[in-house]
Amino acid sequence: MNRVNKRKVIDTSLKVITYIASFIAVIILGAILFFVFSRGSKLLSFKILVTDYHSKPYRLETTVSAKGLSFENPHIKDAYFSENFGFAVKDDYTLEGIKTIRFVYIDDNSPLKTTINEQGEKSPFKEGFIFDSTMRAVLEDESTVTIFSRYGAENLVNVLSDAVGIQTANVKSEGGGIRGSIITTLYLIFLTLIIGLPFGILTALYLHEIAPQNKVTNLLRSFIDMLTGVPSIIFGLMGAAVFIPLTSALFSNPDMKRGSVIAGALTLVVIILPVVIKATESALSVVPKSYKEGSLALGATKTQTIFKIMLPNALPGILSGAILSVGRVIGESAALIFAMGTFIGDKISITGRSTSLAVHIWSVMGGEIPNVTLASTIAIIILIVVLALNMSVKVITNRFMNKYK
Amino acid sequence: MDKAKKRNRRIDKIAKNILLFTAILSALFIVLIIVIVALRGFRPFFLSYDGHKVSFFKFITGTRYFAPEYRIGYIIINTMYVVLLSVLVSAPISVLTALFVAKMAPKVLSNILTTTIEVLASIPSIIFGMFGKGYVVILVRNFADKIGIVTAGGQSTLATVIVLSMMIMPTITMLSITAIKSVPEDMEHGSLALGASETQTMFCISLNAAKPGIFAGIILGVGRALGEATAVTMVAGGRGSGPTFSLFSTTRTLTSTILTGIHEANFGSLEYDIRFSIGLVLIVVILVVNIILNAVKKRLGRYYEPS
Repeated sequence: MNRVNKRKVIDTSLKVITYIASFIAVIILGAILFFVFSRGSKLLSFKILVTDYHSKPYRLETTVSAKGLSFENPHIKDAYFSENFGFAVKDDYTLEGIKTIRFVYIDDNSPLKTTINEQGEKSPFKEGFIFDSTMRAVLEDESTVTIFSRYGAENLVNVLSDAVGIQTANVKSEGGGIRGSIITTLYLIFLTLIIGLPFGILTALYLHEIAPQNKVTNLLRSFIDMLTGVPSIIFGLMGAAVFIPLTSALFSNPDMKRGSVIAGALTLVVIILPVVIKATESALSVVPKSYKEGSLALGATKTQTIFKIMLPNALPGILSGAILSVGRVIGESAALIFAMGTFIGDKISITGRSTSLAVHIWSVMGGEIPNVTLASTIAIIILIVVLALNMSVKVITNRFMNKYK
Repeated sequence: MDKAKKRNRRIDKIAKNILLFTAILSALFIVLIIVIVALRGFRPFFLSYDGHKVSFFKFITGTRYFAPEYRIGYIIINTMYVVLLSVLVSAPISVLTALFVAKMAPKVLSNILTTTIEVLASIPSIIFGMFGKGYVVILVRNFADKIGIVTAGGQSTLATVIVLSMMIMPTITMLSITAIKSVPEDMEHGSLALGASETQTMFCISLNAAKPGIFAGIILGVGRALGEATAVTMVAGGRGSGPTFSLFSTTRTLTSTILTGIHEANFGSLEYDIRFSIGLVLIVVILVVNIILNAVKKRLGRYYEPS
């Protein structure tokens, strides 16, 4: 009896340990999701998706005079309206979470018209501009008074109500957004798929349909399989040593020596290649043999059978391979840090430098004071997209596998 | 008729050659990677950079890493140490989780856990890195403060091990689930019929029979841990000398050394080329570890193919 009891105690304790251990995974996932969403949801808005990362400083092009002018108040909530200059400002936060004053309304006939930046480029005085430095206003007796942004929007409007002109005003466009990184990520997905998919599909077709069963084929297969085990940082080294000089020479652009979007995309092509090949091959192997035999028996050539029977029937599998690849592209960081650089760009071109969303996180987390809020916001976007992609792969695979049952 | 046949045959031949060509190109990428990394990686030992030459022996055995004396002996040891600890932490948890999912849990719970693990596996490493730097590191710092140890803001061996364990756990768990599920049922039935309790059967028979499959998961996990760069770099801290075995001191792995400060390095400088040497060492380390682990796996007994 004693022994049975002892057994029971051991069994129960083993079971309890197993129960506890198996919920660690749930706790980890919960902690990550809670962290990312609680930190990042504050910044998550449509605005952050369409705003540039770098804010551009502007100043008023000329001294403006408001003598005898009067404008109608549009009555915007929480905003203070300057009747003589025709604009409304409000206390607001930048996308980085810093307190600032924002121009929310500018009348069409406002004397504040054009601004100029250090390069001499002119730009209209826009709604959405941020005032976070100083402004010098001219009073009736031609003396000037400096207005500081830190005293808030109400102070700005109050001081300006006695002024007859503005001599200088330093403003800047909104920054801290991730528009550039979103576009770069889309570019990367597009370029990678358009180069990588045909490559992978043709390779899979060869391996599955044409390749003879011999040592050479086995060698090819094992070489391709080896790619899956290569850490992404090694892909990054290769991208830096091969694709950066290659693209730089192709476009004869020495600026591309520090990385470019196209070099990043080419590196990603190598990374997704085994994914596409594997997905295509497994899709081809599900297509019933009778399809192929029927086609050949009807007199179709081998090429016709491969491209008109096998390939179309394997499309859902190829699609899931493509979706998995998109997930890989979105999540990849180490390889892109090497091949594309970590400079967050706003003007996106395939020969220029910019970051994908994942590398954007790396860049803002890298400094002395990591910007966890912005990083978490980007992480939310990445997580949602990656999870949606994975779910759609599951759905597609289930449907596809059941099709031939 | 004959003409058409000839034409078709020619088309078949052209198509076949195009496909063969792409297949060969795809296979050549791995060769390209190794050749390129090797070519650049060997340069520091044969070329002189501003009159400075790197001795291979010192490079591979040294205990300090700073410009221009790059020595990575201690980094290799620290990499192994961090990976070993991560596997020691995550393997038991993963195996128990897999046992629960495969044998104990009711269907609903089993599905929820499987989904959880799949989601965890699909989270990109940059997000683990962000979580590590934004949360785990601070947790470690506060804990160290409480027990009176000064840390470099929490970036430490412990933080690295925690983050790495989280990242390799799904891999080991998923393969363990498959391994445990493919253990033949008659073995378990036999054990039960002989009077063993259910728990005894699970721990002594199912786990034992699934050992090679579980070990395959551990091998994959080790591979992922050795190659993981972004997340590790964000929490490791970058130690300049070593080796260190303290949990609360900063550490440095091969991957974090390659990644840290790449943008200050100019193309073709020693600082740049040495990263390829370290990359080469990383490839060799991964290969050697894999060969050893696979040899061990072969001794573990029969491998039951998932049915």
